[in-house]
Amino acid sequence: MTLLADFYAKHSRLIDQIGVNAILALSLSVSLQAGQLALAQAAFMGIAAYVSAMLALNAHWPLVATIAVAMLVSTVVAALLAYPVRRLRGVFLAIATIGFGEIVRVCANNLGSIQFAGRTVQLTGGAEGLSGIPNDATTLVIYASLAFVALALVLISRTKFALAVALVREDEYAARGVGIDVGAVRTLSLALGGAIAGLGGALYAHASFFITPTDFGFARMEQILVWCVVGGVTSPFGAVLGATLLSILPEAIRFLADYREISNGVILLAVILFAPGGLSSLWRRGAVRVRS
Amino acid sequence: MNRTTVPVLALLAIAALVAPSGAASKGPAAGKTVHVGVIADVTGGAGIYGTPQKNAYELANDDVKSGKIDAGGANLTFDVADAATDGAQVVNLMQKFTTDGQTVIVLGPTLSGEAFKAFPIAAKANFPVMGTSTTAEGVTAMGSSVYRDALAESQVIPTTVKRTHDKWHYKTAAIIYGDDNAFTKTDYDVFAREFKAAGVDIVDVETFHIKDTDFQAALTRIESKHPDVIAIGGLFPEATKIIQQAGKLGMKTHMVGGNGLNAPDMYSVAGPASQGTVVGAAWFSGAKYSSNLDFVKHYSAKYGKGPDQFAAQSYAAAQIVAYLVAHGATTKDEMSAALKNVRVIQTVLGPIGFDQNRDVKSSPVILSIVKDGFAYFH
Amino acid sequence: MIAQQLFNGLFLGAVYALFAVGYTLVFGVLDILNLAHAAIFTAAAFVALSLALAGMPLPLAFLVAAAVAGIIGILLDRVAFAPLRARNAGTLVPLISSIGVAIIIGAIMRGIYGVDERHFTTGGLETVPAIRLGPVTFTTVELAIFLSAVALMLVLSWVLRSTTLGRRIRAVAEDRIAAALLGVDLERTIAATFFIASSLGGAAGVLTGLEYNSVTLDMGGPIELKGLAVIILGGMGSVTGAVIGGFILGAVETLAVAYGASAWRDAIVFGVMFVLLVARPTGLFGKRALRQA
Repeated sequence: MTLLADFYAKHSRLIDQIGVNAILALSLSVSLQAGQLALAQAAFMGIAAYVSAMLALNAHWPLVATIAVAMLVSTVVAALLAYPVRRLRGVFLAIATIGFGEIVRVCANNLGSIQFAGRTVQLTGGAEGLSGIPNDATTLVIYASLAFVALALVLISRTKFALAVALVREDEYAARGVGIDVGAVRTLSLALGGAIAGLGGALYAHASFFITPTDFGFARMEQILVWCVVGGVTSPFGAVLGATLLSILPEAIRFLADYREISNGVILLAVILFAPGGLSSLWRRGAVRVRS
Repeated sequence: MNRTTVPVLALLAIAALVAPSGAASKGPAAGKTVHVGVIADVTGGAGIYGTPQKNAYELANDDVKSGKIDAGGANLTFDVADAATDGAQVVNLMQKFTTDGQTVIVLGPTLSGEAFKAFPIAAKANFPVMGTSTTAEGVTAMGSSVYRDALAESQVIPTTVKRTHDKWHYKTAAIIYGDDNAFTKTDYDVFAREFKAAGVDIVDVETFHIKDTDFQAALTRIESKHPDVIAIGGLFPEATKIIQQAGKLGMKTHMVGGNGLNAPDMYSVAGPASQGTVVGAAWFSGAKYSSNLDFVKHYSAKYGKGPDQFAAQSYAAAQIVAYLVAHGATTKDEMSAALKNVRVIQTVLGPIGFDQNRDVKSSPVILSIVKDGFAYFH
Repeated sequence: MIAQQLFNGLFLGAVYALFAVGYTLVFGVLDILNLAHAAIFTAAAFVALSLALAGMPLPLAFLVAAAVAGIIGILLDRVAFAPLRARNAGTLVPLISSIGVAIIIGAIMRGIYGVDERHFTTGGLETVPAIRLGPVTFTTVELAIFLSAVALMLVLSWVLRSTTLGRRIRAVAEDRIAAALLGVDLERTIAATFFIASSLGGAAGVLTGLEYNSVTLDMGGPIELKGLAVIILGGMGSVTGAVIGGFILGAVETLAVAYGASAWRDAIVFGVMFVLLVARPTGLFGKRALRQA
């Protein structure tokens, strides 16, 4: 027991990061599974992080309430974003949503504070960021949230909605043919991804004391995408696996010292070439082999 | 006597008082092993700043071994870890150092934004940490164990504005700054505040983003407003290009800047256009006191290029820690206690101490860019 | 003032266009986004810098560096894309493998050249003769850069339109399977595409390094996303579109700053891109332009 407590005392921050990252990866996997390469997760995450941090700092709301409002906001933003991009597919959708993310980041940079009714109201804090955010997203809160998201996704996967999502991904025209409202399915899956990313963003803010616009830029989006694809886009399990392994990787190869950066690239490349379907696909391939 | 000779004389006097008294190998720390954790962004976007920091600590490791830095006979090492400009890695390293049972103090990280994420962890554990480049406002307010040996922009720019205003009597100013970086945004805040206080009218404010390379549009706009002086809130890579391109556009306006412009390559990169630009900074590479002369010489010999301010402030932190170790601070708690009682320690930055907010107590140097380097601004 | 600003935008746009042409060529032929393009851009600038500092005349160093960039492009394809192509891995997975290669190239550059900013010459830009044309000022280096960029784009357009290789590339872009059936050697055509695309991206890197007399490890960062904006503006896969998109981006950026919105510059750029995508999902020219070039 003391061994475990000692391990936790030394690695609790990394353990928390893994939990938050897994939630973020899940949020992207929801839209990827609907066949939408929508890369606005970092923006949804950032919006929620700022909302929850501002509510905690300015209004002293309790954690759960800030998370609820933050998720609501990110969900609404995601649903609204779905409308203008409804005709975009594939890489075009990816680029439009990356552009949206950049716009959100610039706004966070420029809306540090505003003059309102003769008073200065502190908003995002601009480039100097928001510091002193209550550090109340404990390991328990983070992993309970992760479990909640996983459970919700499992339950959703058993509904007709999940069937509709799968059909839209495989063949949009066929989906329309059987009377599925493709637009609604796409909007819902983007909004669901926005809600989960919002949860991840709010937890991120409350687990890291400080947030700044660069936390939610293209580099973060790229990171979340890499987690998902390395883990495997076809299952939520893959997203969690990818986020976990790649969060640990930089610390695990610290002994490589000057060769750490290049090893990072080589490992990423090797893994993706070895398992283009993601690491979770190896698992399934292995399972099939055992059974056959 | 003019303004510069007073601090220089004071400095020489103090230097004599605190000069190392030979190898104190029989001190309270003799024979003990002391580990110091260093978090630096050696790779990633901030690698240009973290690498000189790493270099300075590696030089300090050599100098402790050879006795050039007196650690009282202790086996003192600076363990440099790369955070790759990744906030998550900074946090993990801070937790690693503060819980490994052997580290007595953590120096770094490189960026203020990283410090805001990592220092609360140390503060909560009452673990001593010292920022050497994290100059944003509020860094040392994070806890009673958080120190800083880097002079903040808010400590440097007011003197810079006062001294240049006294000499040039300018009435209007323009500010160009990076709006997506805490350091350069602070530059803007402080310049704007100080200009207003001096009765200077700010006729134009332009922003850029870190890593931008083309500033001609912004400079052309500034030029159309005819300011008497242009303040640059930027770091070396952007500042050199701003000055270069202003020269190219034929602009002759006086320019002023803060710590971000204090890099040894300033003239060789920005060229003749940079001559006369005034830089307020924490350290002057050409300062003539012996510890600085030695540092610049040894650093240049080891790395083939002179140290910048990031290196100097890191090396100064190493000197402070070594001094305290030599005087018996060989555990985390002893280090905490010793830091509270620091009066004056001689470093490459000159003699420095800490004020009641645990910020560095030293005076800024106001420099002017001249051919091939810097000189004191008169 | 606006005349000077538009000139600033023109020079900026030429380099954006050159970078984006390579980006869009790979997309047009293979339908993948190559996120290592910016890393090759940077690598070429370092190669040219080494050669120039070793005494090679600049124009020659420029060409050699562009060729080296082209070879890196072929290697990139063999390592990161060809194995995935063989396994029909789709468009998302190559994106990730190109990120891996970008990290590797960046680490190698850091290992060889260190983190410091490097320069072709010391002494700033004033040593370069300036040309004054009425209200506008520019340097001979800027003019040379602009002309080189335009010349390279003309050469590309000629290659695509009037050579056998160009016809093959366009055929593969149109329909890979049909092209193979008609006897086009797919892998060789793709290798040639990567060589051309990467050498153009590399040329853009060298020109950027020369224009600002500065070569840094992260010089490819800002252009990576802006390159995406450019190929969207012009229409994915359209070479003409990418060229025009580059100039539009240069103009939008400088005008945003000229009219006092420097803080919102990037939001304006991506806002324009977003609106354009939504209004015209195939861009100004659309993918057909490459096929019909």
